[in-house]
Amino acid sequence: MVANLRQSISDWIFRARAPESPPVTLVQRRIFILPTRQGYSFAFAVLVLLVASINYALALGFVLTFTLVSMAGVAMLHTWRNLAHMKLRPGRCDSIFAGETAQFAITLETPSATRFAIAVRRRDGDPVYADVIPHGTTAITVPVAAPRRGVLRCGRLEIFTRYPVGLFHAWSYVDFDLKAIVYPRPDPEAGAPPMHSKSDTEEGIPVAGDEEFNLLRTYRAGDAPKLIAWKALARERGLLTKEFSAMASSELWLDWDDARAPDTESRLSVLSQWVIQAERFGQGYGLRIPGVSIPPDRGEAHRTRCLEALALFAQ
Amino acid sequence: MKAAAASPHLDVRNVMWLLAAMAFVVAPHLSHLPYWVDAFFVVIVAWRGWMAWKALRHPSRWLMALLTIGASLATLRQYHTLSGREAGVALLILMMALKLLEMRAQYEVTLSIYLGFFLVITNFLFSQTIPLGLYMLVCVWIFIGTLVGFNRVGTSPTLGERMRPAAALLLQAIPLMIALFVIFPRATGPLWALPQDSRSGASGLSESMSPGNISNLIKSDAIAFRVQFDGDRPPFSKLYWRGPVMTEFDGMTWSVPPIAPAGVVEYSKREGRVDYTVILEPHNKSWVFALDVPGKLPPGTYVLGDLEVRDRRPVAERRYYEMSSFLDYRYGETTSQGALKAMLKIDETRNPRTIALAHKWAAEYPDKRALLQQVFQFYNREFSYTLEPPLLDPQNPYDDFLFDSKQGFCEHYAGSFALIMRAAGIPARVVTGYQGGEVNPINRELVVRQADAHAWVEIWIPEEGWVRIDPTGAVSPLRVESGVNAALGPIGMIPTLVAADPLGVLPRIRDSWRALNSQWDQWVVGYNSEKQRQFFMQFGASSVDWQTLGVWLIGATFGIGSIISAFLFVRDLPPRREASVAAWDRYCRKLAATGVTRAPSEGPLDFLERVRRERPHLAESAAEITRRYIEARYGDGANRGELRDLARRVREFRPA
Repeated sequence: MVANLRQSISDWIFRARAPESPPVTLVQRRIFILPTRQGYSFAFAVLVLLVASINYALALGFVLTFTLVSMAGVAMLHTWRNLAHMKLRPGRCDSIFAGETAQFAITLETPSATRFAIAVRRRDGDPVYADVIPHGTTAITVPVAAPRRGVLRCGRLEIFTRYPVGLFHAWSYVDFDLKAIVYPRPDPEAGAPPMHSKSDTEEGIPVAGDEEFNLLRTYRAGDAPKLIAWKALARERGLLTKEFSAMASSELWLDWDDARAPDTESRLSVLSQWVIQAERFGQGYGLRIPGVSIPPDRGEAHRTRCLEALALFAQ
Repeated sequence: MKAAAASPHLDVRNVMWLLAAMAFVVAPHLSHLPYWVDAFFVVIVAWRGWMAWKALRHPSRWLMALLTIGASLATLRQYHTLSGREAGVALLILMMALKLLEMRAQYEVTLSIYLGFFLVITNFLFSQTIPLGLYMLVCVWIFIGTLVGFNRVGTSPTLGERMRPAAALLLQAIPLMIALFVIFPRATGPLWALPQDSRSGASGLSESMSPGNISNLIKSDAIAFRVQFDGDRPPFSKLYWRGPVMTEFDGMTWSVPPIAPAGVVEYSKREGRVDYTVILEPHNKSWVFALDVPGKLPPGTYVLGDLEVRDRRPVAERRYYEMSSFLDYRYGETTSQGALKAMLKIDETRNPRTIALAHKWAAEYPDKRALLQQVFQFYNREFSYTLEPPLLDPQNPYDDFLFDSKQGFCEHYAGSFALIMRAAGIPARVVTGYQGGEVNPINRELVVRQADAHAWVEIWIPEEGWVRIDPTGAVSPLRVESGVNAALGPIGMIPTLVAADPLGVLPRIRDSWRALNSQWDQWVVGYNSEKQRQFFMQFGASSVDWQTLGVWLIGATFGIGSIISAFLFVRDLPPRREASVAAWDRYCRKLAATGVTRAPSEGPLDFLERVRRERPHLAESAAEITRRYIEARYGDGANRGELRDLARRVREFRPA
């Protein structure tokens, strides 16, 4: 209960602000600092040392006590400074499939010396540590589990440090509105996508490893590596892509109505699997789901477009 | 570009650092602890190190409990208590070792380091010298370095990465530490009663004197007290610092009477006043030392009938007192017969030959001066002054000394002389204290050491009262005139070195070192409420109470804190714009004010072209400024003079 109360007080004090535009510099007023639990026990130890020094009239005991007190004061400034003036930018957040872990990255830059033991964490999450070295950027990625399809928001991140002596916890919040798109989890049971091309030829998709292809064409960005004619490359004929006759001639439509599944999410999983398969075989494919119709095409960009449409369906 | 997902952990090297720091801080204790404590500590620390190195499992809970109970019981058996200085320190060290052994988590490391700070302070219970202080500073440095190491994540820091941040923390802490040390209000007494053995410095004179115990004391180089004379220093031969007066005698040992003699003393003559300040080291006895007849007494002290000055409490801390004494005096002529009779008491059954000799002389020389002369001649003829006298027959020690060994130290001479006097019918008593001292030429301070401990005799003569007689002077006049080192040759290593140094460099180093120590003892170790008052009074503070000091404390903390923050902040600011850029910007602003605005994409040369076209009369100076700017910024760079020249041209540039 106390923890809850503390959390709500802290939420009230550090109310979420609107997402910020990069870069964010951790200026003085953005950094908060409080003693850690170790800091409080250190204070207690110093108090005992002080009482001992007074009682035994130990001059060097006083020297020790006051050295430690002053050291703690200086350590507070150092801990604060370890965070101050750092520049933060949002980093890559790759799209993933539901059930995987999203990696939200932010990059940090120090204007001066190395910042040791800088940690980043989400609320209730485990911190990730790194040393931020000068002349360059350091990326810290925070892993977040993505159980469901849709848009996964990273939310506010806490950047904190306890370096150099762990007596103080200096922290700051930053919210870049980091998002990752979570594709529907591909259904492994989905089987092959049904072939009903416009020309109504009832050909199936060639199975993987089928060596029968009718022509080689020049490589286009986005062609699957397994379709590259490596033998041709070895003969120094350049980078060529194998094109299978069935695929070259037919256009595959991945249709909402063909995906037989009990509910929407399962349907999306099936479609997700089909998109992956179709792309893997170099098949040109289109996607038709309620409200969205993506004409047939191929390549990484097309695949992403289709998967995103599935991820954001009805959201 | 590395990110570690691990939280802080117990890295092997970090553990080794912690163990090394602990070993450092415990090392000074090892010499005075029982061997089994030393052995226990060393074995446990080695075990912990091995455990960390080989990633072995921690000992079981049962073993830990067994070791803890065993160590406590052994301490109890050794000291018969668990409190007090010696037992407390031993227990703390044993528990510290066990804590290290079971330490697994980060917070336990922190706890161990805090315990380490307690070990540092226990060292100060035994000694607060400059070398130990510096040594402990190094220990604290290592502890903080260890703490820094444990707060790094992922990578194990190098030696420099540990020690440099720790050094920065300590160095930056020093100004505030000094301010706190000076300003923090000092209490006038302990908060609760201290155990008897809580403080060091118990060496010194005792309540009794038998042949051999002063010559043991004299081997100590420890300081007994320091004296600063207000005027001229009296000659060494007059510097008899009186301590306990011994009137009880059992044939072997002279001792202080169990009931202190009443304190009313009538003087018929008190002249030759000397004023001085004494800084007395703690000796855990109640007497304080003064020359002959005390005049002004320090507060809290009183004087006994035999001129012994005592404090109401044992001197457990260093004490400062101002005193005055009269070196030319006469007193005690009217001492009652009863009191004098007590000064004649001897055990007739012991030392028969000495007593017989005294009786014989008393009969031969009815005149007391003649008798004294005879005794002096006796000593002068065959006796020698030595620090290593042979052991004496415990039944008749003075017979043995006077007729057989004939070698002795001051207590032999004083003891035997007083015995002869009493046997011859002259009231006599033994006075112990210190004689002479050594003047430090650097600060003119007289330093009296345990090595200057001395014993002499006072006899009562009608018409004269109590008169001091120093029989050692009859054997070795040098002892009284020039001190013990002159009489016996150098004692100990340092005096030997000093004596062997023909250029006199070593004495100067030694004197400077001693003067430094004296300052240290007075202003650092001896900084108490009184010194604090003195210190603030000299800055014109009207009163030095808790409120005043509180205000000072807050002021100093904020003042120093702001200076350090400013220092840290400035170091982190991005570098200032280059001087050439600043000058160029100013030049562009000046032109912009007249309507020629440089476009962001416009290079300096293009801009110059435009200035030439639009403001032909400025062409020459603008070309000069542009050329210099380009050279400084994009060319070979510019030195200070060239930059200043550029700035001057821009300043003098008048586009209007």
